[in-house]
Amino acid sequence: MRELLNFRRYILDNGLKVLILEDHRFPILSYQVHVKAGSRFERPGITGISHLFEHMMFRGTSRLGPEEFSKIIQSRGGIVNAFTTQDHTTYWENVPSDQLELVIELEAHRLKELKLDEESFYTEREVVRSERKMRISTTPYGAALEELFSLAYLRHPYRWPIIGWDSDLRNLSLKDCEEYFRLHYAPNNMVIAICGDVAPEKALDLICKHYGDLTPQKCFHKIEPEPPQRGERRSVFKKPVELEAIFWAYHVPGIDSDDIFPLLGICECLSGGRSSRFWQKFVHPGKATEVRLVADPPPFWPKDPGLLILYAIEKPGIPLSSLEKEIEEEISLFKEKGPAENELEKIKNRLKASFLRGLESLFFRGLVGGIYEIKLDGFEKSWEILEKYESLKAEDMIQVAEKYLHEDNRTCIMVKSISIEENTKFGLIE
Amino acid sequence: MRELHLKPIEIHLDSNHKIFALPYGKTPLCYLAMLIKAGSEKDPKGKEGLTDLWAEGLTLGTKKKSLEELIFEVEKLGGYLEGSAGWDFTLLLISGLEEKGSNLLEILSEIFYEPDFPFHEMEKTKERRLSNLLKLKDDPSKMADRLIWIMAMEGTPYAHPISGSLSSIKNITLEDILHFHNEIYPQQRCTLFILSKEVKEVLLEKAKDTLSKLITRKGEEEKTSETTPSTPHPQILILDRPDLTQSQIRIAFPSLSRKDDRYYILKLMNYLLGGGGFSSRLMERVRSQKGYTYSIRSSFTSLKTCGTLIISTFTPTNTTYATFEEILSTIEDFIKEGPTEKELEEAKRFFEKSFPLRIETPKQLLNEIILQETYDLKFQNLFEEIEKIKKINIEEIKLIAQEILQKQKMQVLIIGNSEHFVKNFETFGNLQLMPYKDVSP
Repeated sequence: MRELLNFRRYILDNGLKVLILEDHRFPILSYQVHVKAGSRFERPGITGISHLFEHMMFRGTSRLGPEEFSKIIQSRGGIVNAFTTQDHTTYWENVPSDQLELVIELEAHRLKELKLDEESFYTEREVVRSERKMRISTTPYGAALEELFSLAYLRHPYRWPIIGWDSDLRNLSLKDCEEYFRLHYAPNNMVIAICGDVAPEKALDLICKHYGDLTPQKCFHKIEPEPPQRGERRSVFKKPVELEAIFWAYHVPGIDSDDIFPLLGICECLSGGRSSRFWQKFVHPGKATEVRLVADPPPFWPKDPGLLILYAIEKPGIPLSSLEKEIEEEISLFKEKGPAENELEKIKNRLKASFLRGLESLFFRGLVGGIYEIKLDGFEKSWEILEKYESLKAEDMIQVAEKYLHEDNRTCIMVKSISIEENTKFGLIE
Repeated sequence: MRELHLKPIEIHLDSNHKIFALPYGKTPLCYLAMLIKAGSEKDPKGKEGLTDLWAEGLTLGTKKKSLEELIFEVEKLGGYLEGSAGWDFTLLLISGLEEKGSNLLEILSEIFYEPDFPFHEMEKTKERRLSNLLKLKDDPSKMADRLIWIMAMEGTPYAHPISGSLSSIKNITLEDILHFHNEIYPQQRCTLFILSKEVKEVLLEKAKDTLSKLITRKGEEEKTSETTPSTPHPQILILDRPDLTQSQIRIAFPSLSRKDDRYYILKLMNYLLGGGGFSSRLMERVRSQKGYTYSIRSSFTSLKTCGTLIISTFTPTNTTYATFEEILSTIEDFIKEGPTEKELEEAKRFFEKSFPLRIETPKQLLNEIILQETYDLKFQNLFEEIEKIKKINIEEIKLIAQEILQKQKMQVLIIGNSEHFVKNFETFGNLQLMPYKDVSP
């Protein structure tokens, strides 16, 4: 399947990297700008600024009003959005291919003439606080998950949420945004990926024309590495919920490690689909409402060492403590025997099919190339994904299970249910 | 458009069933979907969720295989299998690696003809569904979606969640499932969809063989007269949850059925009002100008006999009433003035130009053609939509907005910390306030 991810790479004099992949099946393309600006590059006090800044990129330029950028793209038949992760911010447009010049011009224009004014900033800051409430405060387990990360990491910036702490959001200023933009939004800190009905030479000419005059700058950022965890950490999170839950987080390596593939194999074996061990052992017989071991598959696996999350949601009447014990036994069993032969074949096929489903869309293919390039300086590494799934071995899965899925490397949060009345003593979750 | 000359293979069988096959996609994957033209609207009163449970029941084991064996076989082929109901249809979907297409079809056939509905599996499935409903209650956004639907559809066969409720699921027995399987479902027409990078002749032959075994019994001619929601209007329901810092707001209006000729006018109107993201009026006013919310949208559902249009948003507790007022004011202006010439042209262009993006992947196309088939529309209709939309004018949009967005027909649901805003709503209409904890999912 290499041809589906066989980008051509160009590097402009100012350091801007451009990946182009031709596919003329439909008259459409995906245009993506990936910027090395995610929560990983923040510090306490300005957490959430990467994401807030992503919002500000839509609030207008010297000649465009708020959200006019999106309206123009939509009026030409395109879809536009952006997202921020721990490691990068991605701006994207999926458009009819005859709109390529328009998106290149508009994306470059907002980098050069973004309008950052107080009024827009304060309006957007409230929008982001509403988003935070939607994602964290008013979801059943969002706040507990946030606490899990801040307990599992002591130093590394993955310890704070991408959307930021509410107390930081309230204090962020326009000046913080201007400074953040200056430090991170430089051409040598970006990758452009174009995927679809495109003529590479013409596209490159247009990019040179519109982005060529951007000035590179030093983008140095020291990331504090996370020290090895030296023993289990546990905590309790109380809030009014119908169903209690437990969350475990294991430290695992970053995307550059080959261990991520056997780790994904373990996730698949234990909780992928209804034939998985956790479903068969816990969900099917009614011992739990849900039990899963999850990680973000490539290209979304984090750049730096991340967390493999196991969560279990109770079945009313079955105590979580007994469930926890049984889950541990299931993990021990896996470490002892690994997957059976037919299980291994199933794991491989499911992982392959899932990745192939993604590759049906130009958007996903652009993301794979662009994100691999921005995280690992080489989209070519994405060619290995299917091969890595195909060559998964039981012994490798056992080995990584031994290496990472142990108590000393684990952080646990138990979500305990309390009444609304009892909740008032803790105050509201912001 | 040059690449969209799609040539599906449509085979009409003597049994009144149909096969629809289309080579489609970039990767070696295969999608097989059996569409049964009966959905959750067939659920008997007090046993809501029956059709959906029956659909899942089909995947719980066959005469030859236990659930464990069946699922393992599917998943080993890189596949997934799901049976679920929609409002007007039920779908059995199996997908996996293309090279395993024949095996997947064999499994689908076995599930379809030899389901076992084992009692212990059906009971466990009911238990799982009950737990999942409790989980859902923890999510005010999902609960709001579910409850506003019931409010909007009261008095129609659609006034319940597809998956049923805590009380209705408990009422469903294995006899109900078997009755549905033996009496209701055989009267329905079925279509087997095959979407694969390549559609091999051998797979097609196997599909013919599979469906030709299915004989439709003649049932009574189905009556599909229009239904109208019957709740007194307007109605405001506020569910109090003091621990929330953000309120969920839903506003529903009765809307058009799928067979209404003005369906495409409604589609365009919805885009302009709140379906078109940042190009919509609601997003412009409530998010961009006021900053009250991260997201606001309107969406419509047009079913066999009726429909609804629902506006959904959320906002911090202290801006709950202001957001509600801003929505009403936006609607009022939209009804009065309609869209501008520029807005209308841009919206039309969006539908025209974005069409290939909406059917890029096999799964996207499958979703579209399933809806066409459900409402007896030809495959070609999918491509004619653009021409129909191009002909719509401002007056037509205004008229449909006036007809649908009537304040006196509105249903409102708010979930939030009510002490901060309940007084504002008191003068508005038929207000009911109750604790969230008392609502059963």
